[in-house]
Amino acid sequence: MLRLEDVYCGYGDGKEIIKGVSFNVEKGDFVGIVGPNGCGKSTLIKGVSGVLRSKGKVLLEGKNIREMSIKQIAKKLAIVPQNFRTEFGFTVYEIVSMGRAPYLKRFRAETSKDICATENAMRSTDTLRFAESKINELSGGEAQRVVIAQAIAQEPKILILDEPTSHLDINYQLEIMELVKKLNEDGLTVLMVIHDLNLAAAYCKRLIILKDGLVLDDGPIDSVLTDDNILKSFGVDVLVHRNPLTGKKYITSVPKPSVLRDKIKGRIHVICGSGAGTPIMYGLRDMGYLVSAGVLNVLDTDEEVAEKFGIEVVSEAPFSSISDDAFKLNLDMIKGVDFVVLANIPIGEGNIKNLFAAEKAIEMGKIVVILEETPIKERDYTGGKAAGLINNLYRQGAVSAKDNGDVFKIIGSMSECQN
Amino acid sequence: MHRFKGKNISYIFILLILLGGVMLLAASMGAVSIPLTATLRIVASKIFDIRISLDEGTINTYETILFKVRFARVVLAVFVGIALSVSGVVYQGIFKNPMADPYIIGVSSGAALGATIAAIIFKGLGVLGFSLVPVFAFIGATTTVFFVYNLARTGTKVPVATLLLAGVAIGALLHAATSFVMVFGTKDLHFIIFWLMGGFSSKNWDHVMVMLPFLVVGLPLIFYFSRDLNLLLLGEERAQQLGIEAERIKKILIVVASLLAASAVAVSGIIGFVGLIVPHMVRLVTGPDHRFLIPCSALFGASFVVFSDLLARTLMAPTEIPLGVITALFGAPFFIYLLKRSKRGLF
Repeated sequence: MLRLEDVYCGYGDGKEIIKGVSFNVEKGDFVGIVGPNGCGKSTLIKGVSGVLRSKGKVLLEGKNIREMSIKQIAKKLAIVPQNFRTEFGFTVYEIVSMGRAPYLKRFRAETSKDICATENAMRSTDTLRFAESKINELSGGEAQRVVIAQAIAQEPKILILDEPTSHLDINYQLEIMELVKKLNEDGLTVLMVIHDLNLAAAYCKRLIILKDGLVLDDGPIDSVLTDDNILKSFGVDVLVHRNPLTGKKYITSVPKPSVLRDKIKGRIHVICGSGAGTPIMYGLRDMGYLVSAGVLNVLDTDEEVAEKFGIEVVSEAPFSSISDDAFKLNLDMIKGVDFVVLANIPIGEGNIKNLFAAEKAIEMGKIVVILEETPIKERDYTGGKAAGLINNLYRQGAVSAKDNGDVFKIIGSMSECQN
Repeated sequence: MHRFKGKNISYIFILLILLGGVMLLAASMGAVSIPLTATLRIVASKIFDIRISLDEGTINTYETILFKVRFARVVLAVFVGIALSVSGVVYQGIFKNPMADPYIIGVSSGAALGATIAAIIFKGLGVLGFSLVPVFAFIGATTTVFFVYNLARTGTKVPVATLLLAGVAIGALLHAATSFVMVFGTKDLHFIIFWLMGGFSSKNWDHVMVMLPFLVVGLPLIFYFSRDLNLLLLGEERAQQLGIEAERIKKILIVVASLLAASAVAVSGIIGFVGLIVPHMVRLVTGPDHRFLIPCSALFGASFVVFSDLLARTLMAPTEIPLGVITALFGAPFFIYLLKRSKRGLF
């Protein structure tokens, strides 16, 4: 459908922004192009659409676009610009019918085919209902639908969108993405520059990551959207998760450390699981403590995060009870720390050994902080055994904290006393 | 969707009637006042070859006044009105700027300098009985546009903002040059000042014939690109994405519109405001579609100039008020009114 072979492209001042990009967009594909600002995403689109001169080959259905007239290109390839605004009070219908420009003959009115294509485009984008409204009186999201309708009226083989959602609120972002997805399902090939990685992951089938005018990686979302690739292209640290509803990948950013530490303030072991320990591990690490965790099941959210941050973990096989080996390893690790934090986790027969470990920690003279956001009774699945153990811990001197901030405060003040 | 087209065609029809009426009125009124019915009958008799039931002597006097003097003036006013309004539409479309008019890129300042040089330095000289003033004015206008255009050009592109700024800068320079030349001809200042304010006094069919070819070639060309002008309003890049060769069409249109404006300025001096306000007023009614905006602006612009000229001749007769003064006196307040009224912006 669309094939780029070693394309170079720039603004004619001798500096190339795109420095040798090759990729191929198959019919029916939905390809997202991502990359940091200035990596050449928009420039690439200008090169592909023939607005900017490019070196190398851009093949549209096997034909080099340099041998095509601008009209011929417009019949096969439609562009949706980033932000479409006009001061002039054209009606929505007039705007959409301008998409027929490449088909119209001079001095001739629109044929019934043109009118048909215009109305179909409006129907498929749900813009028919404001056909007679003025374009400059629509909201940003509505105007964006109209310009997509204009592009559809071109009856293109491939639709190229340049950050179509970047100026929109989240409701309109999703609406536009759903619209594009529907158009793609109806058979339209889509190439979209998109700056929101999560939207890209949710909707695109394939992702191309650009960096400094070059393709950093290209492939299915699952293989391309990795924290490693994002660190390389955007220079930021992220966590890649899966949306529990759709199974699609999504990312969250990792804040930069608030203070640079050259000295470890102390060692802390966190007993956690299923995500409850993540903010504690991250926060304590950020405060300058050397953090370890356990026992965690492999593939547990807390385990994945710990791995990501290089936090030492005692782990157990997925969905298994804590074995005696893991329990012993955990105790060994607790031996070396100053504090033990027990996160607000549900306790069942599978992980009750972690409470035994906390008990041992107190016996070893460690300070144990128990985070109890929800009362232990509500998350005790051992028939009162866990609640009894927790009460025991309190009796032996464990400190209670009511939220994450409280944990940080207690540990902060106690480690100051220690020093 | 087509009811809009029907509405616009009826606008054209109404404007045609308006123009015909204003032309008849302007032809009838003046130092010698001719009854409207007589004017109508004389025109009808020429077209349909009918006899008129008026006495011979009166008819002959009326015919002489109408055909030797008034009609030439009225037709010239029509031509100038069309040329200025249509070039105004084109400039505003290309520049996507409500303040653009035919004078913005130097047509008026170039013409003024040319006319001043002709009147002061080559006074009394003429070519084939023609004064040198319109010739020099035309040369001044076109040279200036050419110069501004090339000044603004970077490579193969002519960025709109640069073009406007270059026009303003060169305009200031030429105004200074005009003032400088005026120092040498204090005796001719009266003539120059009147020329600069524009008007049709002592203009005849020769002037009409000078403008005719510009209109015959220019108007169809501009209309040919009317749909492309619509797309250019969306921005050059968007127009290009929709299959329009924006850069090439922009260049052609700038040249044609400038020649049209230059020819009008050459025969009538600098008549302000027409190219600026007529497109605005018409756009408020017809909307921005150039396929209707261009013909409607042409007709309304023509009516406006004919009517303004009528006022210029008759308000303080026998003294003639410069036409530029009338168009500004009526144009400026109306423009301000539009500005205040339309809350949605100028387009």
